[in-house]
Amino acid sequence: MNTDDGTTVTSDRLADRDDMIVCVDVDKWYGDFQALKGVTATIKEGEVAVVCGPSGSGKSTWIRCINRLEVHQGGDIVVDGIELTNDLRNIEKVRSEVGMVFQQFNLFPHLTVLDNITLAPIWVRKRPRAEAETMATALLERVGIPEQAEKFPGQLSGGQQQRVAIARSLAMEPRVMLFDEPTSALDPEMIKEVLDVMKELARSGITMMVVTHEMGFAREVADRIMFMEGGEIVEVGTPEHFFTNPTEDRTKLFMSQIL
Amino acid sequence: MADLEQLSTNLSDEAGAPEETASLSVRQWLQTNLFSSWTNAILTLLGGFATLLMLRGVLNFVFSENREWDAVRTNLRALMTLSYPESQYVRVWVTLGFVAGLTGLSAGIWANWGGVSVKRMSTWLMGAGGLIALCVVVREPSVITDVEGKAIRAIDGSLQRESFFAAMSDRLGWWIAAVLLLAAGGAIWARYSDVARRNAQIPVTTVVVWGLGLATLSLWLVPYGHYAFAGGEYIAEPGRRVAFSTQMPWTVMWLLLVSSFFVGRSLRETRWHAFAKGASNLLWLLSPMTLFWVVLRDPALDYAHVLSTDLPMGLAFGLLGGAVLWVLTRVDVGEAGRLSAVGLLGFAVFNWVAAFFGWYPMLQKARISFLLLALAALLAPNFIGEIAKRRQLIIGWLSAMALVHYLATMINTPSTVELQSSEFLGGLGLTLFVALIVVLLSFPLGVLLALGRTSKFPIFRILSTSYIEVIRGVPLISVLIFFSVMVPLFLPDGMELAELAAVLTGYTLFSAAYLAENVRGGLQSVTKGQYEAADAIGLTAAQRTGFIVLPQALRVSIPQLVGQVIATFKETSLLAIIGLFDFLRVANSVIPAQSEFMGVKREGILLVAMIYFFFNFTISKYSQRLERRVGLGER
Repeated sequence: MNTDDGTTVTSDRLADRDDMIVCVDVDKWYGDFQALKGVTATIKEGEVAVVCGPSGSGKSTWIRCINRLEVHQGGDIVVDGIELTNDLRNIEKVRSEVGMVFQQFNLFPHLTVLDNITLAPIWVRKRPRAEAETMATALLERVGIPEQAEKFPGQLSGGQQQRVAIARSLAMEPRVMLFDEPTSALDPEMIKEVLDVMKELARSGITMMVVTHEMGFAREVADRIMFMEGGEIVEVGTPEHFFTNPTEDRTKLFMSQIL
Repeated sequence: MADLEQLSTNLSDEAGAPEETASLSVRQWLQTNLFSSWTNAILTLLGGFATLLMLRGVLNFVFSENREWDAVRTNLRALMTLSYPESQYVRVWVTLGFVAGLTGLSAGIWANWGGVSVKRMSTWLMGAGGLIALCVVVREPSVITDVEGKAIRAIDGSLQRESFFAAMSDRLGWWIAAVLLLAAGGAIWARYSDVARRNAQIPVTTVVVWGLGLATLSLWLVPYGHYAFAGGEYIAEPGRRVAFSTQMPWTVMWLLLVSSFFVGRSLRETRWHAFAKGASNLLWLLSPMTLFWVVLRDPALDYAHVLSTDLPMGLAFGLLGGAVLWVLTRVDVGEAGRLSAVGLLGFAVFNWVAAFFGWYPMLQKARISFLLLALAALLAPNFIGEIAKRRQLIIGWLSAMALVHYLATMINTPSTVELQSSEFLGGLGLTLFVALIVVLLSFPLGVLLALGRTSKFPIFRILSTSYIEVIRGVPLISVLIFFSVMVPLFLPDGMELAELAAVLTGYTLFSAAYLAENVRGGLQSVTKGQYEAADAIGLTAAQRTGFIVLPQALRVSIPQLVGQVIATFKETSLLAIIGLFDFLRVANSVIPAQSEFMGVKREGILLVAMIYFFFNFTISKYSQRLERRVGLGER
């Protein structure tokens, strides 16, 4: 079907044009083990969705399916109107629209901070180098470490590295940001500096999907919280709903353990 | 000694800095490192005694009356280039001069060479002086000879030797050298008495420039060696020394090296820096081929043929190929671009297969050009977009074509240099040339094979794996023999491969398999997270490999890669088996066959070993610097 601005929508199940991420009955197996069991969810444009749940519940697997780092075997995933199939062009398109921040930062250790950030704008977006560098400097300013541009990732603290990783993703001017446990590998005193950057991002109106155990962060900025267990979404609701009266027993148990 | 102790105590009092622990006094150093317990003391003494015995053995061998060092001195030219005609020797010097200039330029542009502390300089000088003095003392006194030069024997048949003191006074020259070095080192030590100045750094480049300068100067002062063989004849005229035939060229080499170094260094601060870097890299890639086949070989060009065939063909490929690439980099090219690139690749591969079956004759140059065009077309998607980028690709293509057609024309033209053997170069020249070409060519091939072996596509994986395993399961000698003897039999009519080219091909293919395994080790050390991060920011597979995976993999495999380079260099001595006269073979079989030096082998082989060691030690040291600079192990 065609929307009014002419974008071709490749899945007819996509109803609303302000739906940013649509997952319908997503299944994923690792061998015999089913990691995702019919995950269905929609994330609207500008929404901040926090995914939580015990380890092994499939949160990371799900978020990694959304930019095709993992391949789902059943169901549909549509990101910004583009369906994820084996078609390389669709995958490339989705990846240039979706930024991702990893638990282990995954900065490129052989490149300076500035080169880490400008690599994709120059080679994927085909920006002139000078323009990309101006943007990178501005982004470093935004994440609070403008003075580290010429250093190598190995010379930075974990919190600084994660902020560079966020800047690297933002440099592609993505419409969606995925965060896969961004603070789990950090020392406690560095968690705050990363969360502050993420809060600022959330307020800027970008669509965000965050897998995290930081319930304080979830309570403050999330529009919705999704609780997963055993490869399924067990409960979805506003932070208020989660922190005051969760309906499901498993959610209650999880919340009592984590708070 | 008291001064020293005073110094180190002062130091620890004043600064208390932990990094100053190195400045122990000599006695303290000996105590902590060599004589810390009585077992260690025994080990130290035993080890020292064994070392002295060994040193004595080597010295007695080198300076024995039975040694004929004349064999080496007279044959220096043969060892370097074998039978290259004397009248054309200016070509060798031009080649060397080019290399010297390029080395200086690159050293100036690239490296921050760091420094050597004054302290270390003085310790080195004193150490060298001390070592010479030790050698003079340790070496056995010489055998006394009679008027005819025969050794005088005592009544019991043993050789009669000089007295110790007579020997010491005979070796006056060596004593002078030792004392001079000790004095120079001591003078520096005394001159820079305070610690800050003693730790001051002298740039390495200054040391190298002055060291080489002194070595060059010595050519003007000391008469090294006799004159060489020319045309198979021994022409050791009195007064004509090797040194005096080479002092002028070597001085020019030194001047070229130094001046180009300063040119390179002055470029570092200007906007030409990036351009100079690229240009010097390109020259390093191109110069071995050009120097060998064009400068040393001096092809006899047939200008009519060049104008009627070679030039139009090169122009056609350059311009038409450039037009194709220009179209393929248009923004709206889409899938058609990938399809045409694959089509071109298919056509290029078909050309090669067809040639081997003799289906239709096609000039070698055209075949290579088609293959290159296909590869450029595959790369084209990376240059889609701005005019400037597209222009880069086209300029790159035109220069590649100009180069390939130029070299291919030169290589296929017979040489004008009058040859005395089938391969016109031998000795160290041949060894270095083969090693350089093989390393340069096998490097990209090895990287491709490693990528193929780790690829997700089964066909690449199977082909690369079987190639690597087959080559690694076969000895180098058999590969060399296969390529020099067997391959020419399989070639279709009209397709020829010079023996040296065949050998280079075989050796490159062999070396690439080993390099591939080293690179694969590096590839495995790149974590999955790096691939995911590259994917997540939207890089294509080629960009991911080129910008993220390979740089990290190569960095990790530097030690193994350097090991492979050294092995390749040393194993060039196997070229002797298929009839080429490499460096070692000249010492091992050419010199001992000369009537004047019948059977004299050991001297030449010792010299060859020393020169091999010099090169390999330099490579090894440089790789250590490289490892430190790219911060290996710091992650």
